Amino acid sequence: MSEIKEISPNNLVLFGLIGGLIGVYLSPTLPIAGALGAICAVIWGADAVRRVAKYGLGTGVPSIGQIALGMGIIAAMFGLAIMKSQPLAGPVVAVITASVIGFVIGWFAQNVIKMKIPVMIRCMTEIAASGAIIILGYSAAVAGNYDFVNNLIPLVFDNGVILFIFWVGAVAMLHPFNACLGPDERQKRMLYLAGSTGASTMAIVGLAAIMTLGASGAITMLLGIVLWLIFYKKFWDEVYNDAASVVGTGLIPKTEA
Amino acid sequence: MVFLDPQTLIDILLIGLSGTLICLAVHFIPVGGAPAAMAQATGIGTGTVELAAGSGLVGLITSSYMYAYEPNASMPLVMAAGALGAAVMLASTMLAGGLIYAYGVAVPFASAQVKKDPITGERQDIYVSKGTQGQGIPTICFVSGVVGSALGGAGGGLIYFVLMQYYSPLISTSAAAVAGVFTMGVFYVNSVIPSYGVGGTIEGVHDPKFRRVVPKDVFTSIVVSMLCGIVAILIAGGMS
Repeated sequence: MSEIKEISPNNLVLFGLIGGLIGVYLSPTLPIAGALGAICAVIWGADAVRRVAKYGLGTGVPSIGQIALGMGIIAAMFGLAIMKSQPLAGPVVAVITASVIGFVIGWFAQNVIKMKIPVMIRCMTEIAASGAIIILGYSAAVAGNYDFVNNLIPLVFDNGVILFIFWVGAVAMLHPFNACLGPDERQKRMLYLAGSTGASTMAIVGLAAIMTLGASGAITMLLGIVLWLIFYKKFWDEVYNDAASVVGTGLIPKTEA
Repeated sequence: MVFLDPQTLIDILLIGLSGTLICLAVHFIPVGGAPAAMAQATGIGTGTVELAAGSGLVGLITSSYMYAYEPNASMPLVMAAGALGAAVMLASTMLAGGLIYAYGVAVPFASAQVKKDPITGERQDIYVSKGTQGQGIPTICFVSGVVGSALGGAGGGLIYFVLMQYYSPLISTSAAAVAGVFTMGVFYVNSVIPSYGVGGTIEGVHDPKFRRVVPKDVFTSIVVSMLCGIVAILIAGGMS
């Protein structure tokens, strides 16, 4: 295990946080950027899920994806709504709020519920923050902006697209590790799968964007499908690459009784 | 700030209380996880979060339906509608699961945690297969599950009711969507916290684990839900 070089958690935090926020901030001019930012956050969130779920949560990996988006959606709504006078600060406030909620839950899980997972507090904070960026990014890609009252409520909340973003965003984040976990799990393979789940979500978000924004949604959908195929091919190659190292031991030798 | 207004404080406390109801509900529901899916443990064969959230979200639908058709409905009425919807949902889940356990898998329903069923008084231990933690959904688990899901549905209805009071004057027709999504967020947070506490499986109110984990889970849930309550009320400030 140790000789395989892994991308450090800090680099993935920077990748998800900076990539995600740039995507969200570019979304008013280029709605597709929101979805691309969300894919960065999906990759980051999937790695955080991997680090914490390795310890065995007792409840299965899906629970952590669901709590992530639960915290993320509360924080995203809060950040965007409270910063109405300075809309530029909204996404940052959302991420900070998510981190605070995640930190509180992580602290309680560690010290009150006594889960005895050393990375619990850090990973819960990261998971909540990435959940908030996933919600912000995909919502912005559908609404074409991240203005809560004028754009998100009529274009994302009223028509129920938010439920889709909540659920599929959670699955995009929890599925990669849930599918790859096991003794031969490797970070690179899981990250490619995270990219592919994020991109397939982007493709369907593009479909929703055709409904709300018109033609520009089609570009989101097409790029999502292309990215999905690219990432899935990479994942496929990794699977083949790793599978080649599995050595057959043959049948159990017949012994004379 | 509007925080010192006693009505606001009461509303924050109510959201905290409803989160706590959801957290408590999870402990009542007989969750067996993967072992129960193979009929090797008592309870329904899926995860805590799925069951609590599944029944709770049905409760949310019934309570919001009540609220939509009777906007002057009182708080207990909305909560009762939520409780009823969630209880019906979980009861039908357990009934369908029970039919499969009884006639498909062919296991006798028995709990490994108690010697006698506290409700029927039937002996349990002689029916537990060797090497398992019980099978199926015995009477006490069924009753406990129905009570628990009713608590969860009432909690969901309560958050929805409180939030609607804040949001509907500000964003008239969209309030239901925003309040519903926020309630869903609080629901997921509060159903995952206790599932970490119980470690994935619990049989219901008679399980010795129940007494051991309820206090610390409920404490966690009160703090987290009140944090969510403060956030929810501040969101209303940003809508005006």
